[in-house]
Amino acid sequence: MNSIKGEIVTIQTNGSLSLVTIDSNGIFFSAIIIETPNTASYLKIGNQIKMIFKETEVIIDKNPKPTISIQNRVLGKILTITKGELLSKLTIDTMVGQLTAIITSDALYKLQLEVGNTVTTMIKTTEIMLSE
Amino acid sequence: MIHIALQKKLIAANGEMLLDIDISIEQGKVVTLYGDSGAGKTSILRMIAGLLQADKGSITIDKHIWLDTDQRICLKPQQRKIGFVFQEYALFPNMTVKENLLFALEKGQDKHIVEELIDIVELGNLQHRKPEYLSGGQKQRVALARAMVRKPKILMLDEPLSALDSKMRAKLQDYILRIHKQYNLTTLLISHEIGEVIKMSDTVYVIDHGRISKQGNPIDVFTTKHISGKFQFSGEIVQIIKEDVIYIVTILIGTNFVKIIAQESEIETMTIGDNVIVASKAFNPLLQKIN
Repeated sequence: MNSIKGEIVTIQTNGSLSLVTIDSNGIFFSAIIIETPNTASYLKIGNQIKMIFKETEVIIDKNPKPTISIQNRVLGKILTITKGELLSKLTIDTMVGQLTAIITSDALYKLQLEVGNTVTTMIKTTEIMLSE
Repeated sequence: MIHIALQKKLIAANGEMLLDIDISIEQGKVVTLYGDSGAGKTSILRMIAGLLQADKGSITIDKHIWLDTDQRICLKPQQRKIGFVFQEYALFPNMTVKENLLFALEKGQDKHIVEELIDIVELGNLQHRKPEYLSGGQKQRVALARAMVRKPKILMLDEPLSALDSKMRAKLQDYILRIHKQYNLTTLLISHEIGEVIKMSDTVYVIDHGRISKQGNPIDVFTTKHISGKFQFSGEIVQIIKEDVIYIVTILIGTNFVKIIAQESEIETMTIGDNVIVASKAFNPLLQKIN
């Protein structure tokens, strides 16, 4: 799994859902979770937290400013590519640390991704889990 | 308010065990004792009922003292206002449903309660049958109604539903909750089923080797707060297969197998037989009604 460390900067709660903004090295991420400051002690502004998400949920684009609905995005450089029959694995060096993405090998060829390329690495708000 | 503090040396499977618990229960609540077999749960209920002697301790029910070993007070089982339901129904086989209930009446008690209880557990049509002509669930409803005849202060249920199939279980749980509310009871339940504990109880005490290891609201006690994923289970790794650039890990959760995609770096720390937590966000799983 991918894990990014950061600091909680805002918490917006509605019912039992919270939208949490996390600052990681100057880059802001948002995660939506079924917890509130009342149910999860770690939900405090200023707390250090880990954002966890699956490699298979990471989205890659060569465009530095993709016009799609995903707000969690960070630029990075492809460090390694492991090609497989159906799936391929990329490791990407970003401002928030090294991230791994598993995408279809088809997508790898279509985007013509190569080691050293700069890519936008994205993850949906609903795919990020928080952990102490 | 009910306060129960008990100490007793018990002989467990692997030698002596000191049971030492202290529980406070608010009137009108359902409290569950949860734990492995041999942890001391049944002994606790038996001591509350007066069927087993505590070495030391006290039981106070709304300021009435049932037990105080320091003051040498120890009420007899029949003086304690409890209702007890066991896994095995313990009905009189030669009596009908109604007679089983009537037999439980105290001398001079109004018989009206028997009709009322038969109504609540919906046994009106079966009240003149003998237990041998009843299903497991029906017998347990009789046992539940009978435990209520003397209007107990505490209703104690020692795994009353573990012999029943899941559908019958759910129905019985509803009967228990209905009776609990109707008579404003304080109910003490022993259960092995986490789902049942969550559905039934206000508070759960996890009993481990005679001691309370955790207590609180069942959802809080049984869910890991460590990670925010709401789709969370613990299981055992039974197979790891490399496929392409990923690994497929098969995990046994209860009696179900699930398959999870994992990465080499994760697999490096895991082997077959390891216990793991499987976590996902509540946003991903799909729900589909069966049948």
